[in-house]
Amino acid sequence: MGLESTNYRNVNENPCSMCMPMGAILPFKGIEQAMVVLHGSQGCSTYMRRHIAEHFNEPVDVGSSSLNEKGTVYGGEKNLKQALDNIIKVYHPKMIGVLTTCLAETIGEDVRRITADYAAERGIADLPIVSVPTPGYGGNHPEGYFLALRNIVEALAEKTEPHGKVNLIIPNISPADIRELKRILQLMEIESILLPDISDTLDRPYEKPYTKIAKGGTKIADIKAMGGAVATIQMGMTVADESSPGKYLADAYGVPLYHLPIPIGIESTDLFIQTLSEITGKPCPECLTAERGRLLDTMIDSHKYNFQGRSVIFGEPELVYAVAKTCCENGIFPVVIATGSKNDKIKQLLKPLLERSPEKVEVLDEADFNQIRACSRKSGANIAIGHSDGRYLTEQEGIPLVRLGFPIHDRVGGQRLLSVGYTGTAMFLDRLTNTLLENKYQTYRNVMKKKYFRGSHKRIAGER
Amino acid sequence: MAITEKQLEELLAQYPSKVQKTRRKHILIKDSTTETPQVIEANTRTVPGVITNRGCAYAGCKGVVVGPLKDMVHITHGPVGCAYYTWGTRRNKAKTDGDPTKNFINYCFTTDMQESDIVFGGEKKLAKVIDDVMEIFQPNAISISATCPVGLIGDDIGAVAKRAEEKYGIQVLSFNCEGYKGVSQSAGHHIANNGLMEHVIGKGELEEAPAKYAINVLGEYNIGGDGWEVERILEEIGYHIVTVMTGDGTYEELKNAHVADLNLVQCHRSINYIAEMLEIKYGTPWMKVNFIGVNSTVETLRNMAAYFGDEALIEKTEEVIARELARVEAKMDQYKKICEGKTAFCFVGGSRGHHYQGLFRELGIETVLAGYEFAHRDDYEGRQVIPDIKLDADTKNIPDLHVEKDPERFRLKLTPELYEELKKKIPLSHYAGMNVEMKDGSIVVDDLNHYETEEFIKILKPDIISSGIKDKYVIQKMGIPSKQLHSYDYSGPYAGFNGALKFAEDITMSFSTPTWNFITPPWKDEPLLVGTVADAEGVA
Repeated sequence: MGLESTNYRNVNENPCSMCMPMGAILPFKGIEQAMVVLHGSQGCSTYMRRHIAEHFNEPVDVGSSSLNEKGTVYGGEKNLKQALDNIIKVYHPKMIGVLTTCLAETIGEDVRRITADYAAERGIADLPIVSVPTPGYGGNHPEGYFLALRNIVEALAEKTEPHGKVNLIIPNISPADIRELKRILQLMEIESILLPDISDTLDRPYEKPYTKIAKGGTKIADIKAMGGAVATIQMGMTVADESSPGKYLADAYGVPLYHLPIPIGIESTDLFIQTLSEITGKPCPECLTAERGRLLDTMIDSHKYNFQGRSVIFGEPELVYAVAKTCCENGIFPVVIATGSKNDKIKQLLKPLLERSPEKVEVLDEADFNQIRACSRKSGANIAIGHSDGRYLTEQEGIPLVRLGFPIHDRVGGQRLLSVGYTGTAMFLDRLTNTLLENKYQTYRNVMKKKYFRGSHKRIAGER
Repeated sequence: MAITEKQLEELLAQYPSKVQKTRRKHILIKDSTTETPQVIEANTRTVPGVITNRGCAYAGCKGVVVGPLKDMVHITHGPVGCAYYTWGTRRNKAKTDGDPTKNFINYCFTTDMQESDIVFGGEKKLAKVIDDVMEIFQPNAISISATCPVGLIGDDIGAVAKRAEEKYGIQVLSFNCEGYKGVSQSAGHHIANNGLMEHVIGKGELEEAPAKYAINVLGEYNIGGDGWEVERILEEIGYHIVTVMTGDGTYEELKNAHVADLNLVQCHRSINYIAEMLEIKYGTPWMKVNFIGVNSTVETLRNMAAYFGDEALIEKTEEVIARELARVEAKMDQYKKICEGKTAFCFVGGSRGHHYQGLFRELGIETVLAGYEFAHRDDYEGRQVIPDIKLDADTKNIPDLHVEKDPERFRLKLTPELYEELKKKIPLSHYAGMNVEMKDGSIVVDDLNHYETEEFIKILKPDIISSGIKDKYVIQKMGIPSKQLHSYDYSGPYAGFNGALKFAEDITMSFSTPTWNFITPPWKDEPLLVGTVADAEGVA
């Protein structure tokens, strides 16, 4: 049963989300030889690089037009063009994303016009420059992420002969997750176009010599060909139509669109495999069926421990939805589900799911950690799932945190967390179960002592 | 290994020609034999599109200087991102002493402006947020820091602050530190310095220092506990610390900063404005100190004792120095055995680029390239160049705060004669800059960017690079250990005697980790097949 709760306070105390351009950088990092420039104060790009680098433990080069006070008065066109010149000269990118910021949008920069002029002046029609309007006040990072994808697809996709590949629109999941999706597609012998693909670019192997832009990422030719795909699977159930790349491909090129949740959990992975089979006619290979069996075995073996879990789930709407489903499947019933973004779709999606849950659930959007914490305490939650800012739930409320999503700043390996597909789900589930067990082992003796110990009955010899 | 002019030219040739010229002025090859001292360009506009490590005015104001004051609630007025990005990221630690409800260091507060706030103005929301904060937290004071859109839409945060002060009877400081101001976070430091000087310092009721040898520690942000190690040493010697600006500092203590007998300046760049103004207004001299490295710490302690000139203090100083040296020197020597003969790059924000060179030297590591992200010429060349620095429009937009002698509280701490005499011996109201300490042939780079970092690494092949997290992974991907000196890779403290040891341990760890041995797979070392190649007929 879902209860919606509103935050009546004006102050955002300990935010649960970042700003729009932050989210928009990530898809560009998953396109082959692409660079990004933020049009605005250089602090934006510095802050965002810092936060992305600390999560992925990877170099994150993002340019800035370094606008200053003069630019706010006379416009930043000259700065932006100079930034593009320098990026092209030093990085030789095959594509450039230009993201706006609070500053650029507030002074009313027409970035689309500036970049078009620039391309014409420099005669670089073959170098796509994709601009995305991402003022910090326009939404949070999940919205920026999908809006960037939508703009990339709008700018690049062309009318293409049908080619039988399947488009996969990838949300903000880990490089390890993307590698797992590719493995599943390979096992099913399905040709696909994944957009974006940070599996190599934001988790690159150590190798010499160092290159300024990492190898890998979605090929630009592949993005151009997305209009000719047999279908689009968009792992973006919570995405608004106007920022949905799959919707655009459906509207502009008639590519059938399948909205699927991130394939975490057995039901969502089944749906993913089944949809792929339906689209392509390829069956689920035996080895994947075996993986499914192993996941089931995991779920059965762990269900008694899992049923003692009551979860707080927070973060980006898309991930939150997938995790909530997984938790419900395993009896780790959610008691708080929260996202920092304003998102009506997730509330609609959660309704049928939570109607079957035996627990009362607080569903919060536009939430801050103050609200999440208060609800968690009230509901008696004993496990939290989300990014590393949930650490305060552990510090202040003693609720252990299973780190998942973006960003993870206080632990290493966020880029290597595997949670999708049957195998990934089993690994994720083990992380949840073991967290519950760890807590149990730590507290069991105490709990038992409190419940059953009635004082010492030792008799001293000779006493009656 | 030094670098030649030709190599430098080739490195810069990758840039468009205009950028080549600009960047060349920010790089110098140290040469102490030139007729006039070498000049470096600094604190000028960043070249757009080079991947700079610089941040913005908001970062310098809220993120660096104001944010660490722990008994205040710091409200970021703007969309959610800027507040989020300064939430706990600098590792400026603060302990709770006294009232546990007055430490807000782990909190992050923002007005989380939405599109409608940009269109209709955000003043009302800001006022309501202050109401919330007062109802829930009752801090000793509040700060409001502006982000980019605030100045552009014309929100008068000063007026909101004033009304809130009247309503609640506590100080509400407002900082117009919009990100686009100035050329780097340096502008934000200046804005914060002005605000704290104008509105906080001197508001306390103390007329006299409560104890002998009263000092303020300026420009110490207690990253990883640095300030605590410094305090340990100073308090043992007998100094009374009035306030620390601003690591683990409080608004309440800051109000009484005027009573100190001496101001220590650790990070010159971020706090020299307050140091100067304190001298003008209250007659308190400042001294450049350096607590990074054993030798620098010892020198600083002796300089401080010399300033006060008290025999007992000098004796106690020497006693503590002797004991600490006996404790750490042998251990430092152990680490030195592993570090000796190696080379380093040292590129940090405003002062650490300089300070850590001494610590590297103690470990036998030579700094072959150093620089600052956002420093001014005086941080490189010394304060004597200040009159010659051309002020550009960006700097002029941050007005200097003019202070005058406080008619009641101004006290000369030294006679003019003694002041002049001491000035010859200790860095009193002076900073000689970084360049003077660097060896001939070494490179000084202002506002080093990612491209130049890579290229200099290729030419100079350093053994370790101390820098920030944004370039950390570029460096490590190139096979060179990186020591993050902004937040210390979750280590520290690195200041004082204990800190030097901790740093030496961390650096040594980087050199001696077995990981480096596995970079080349065994099958790349030698051919797997041994044999001769058959000729065309198949006969060997």
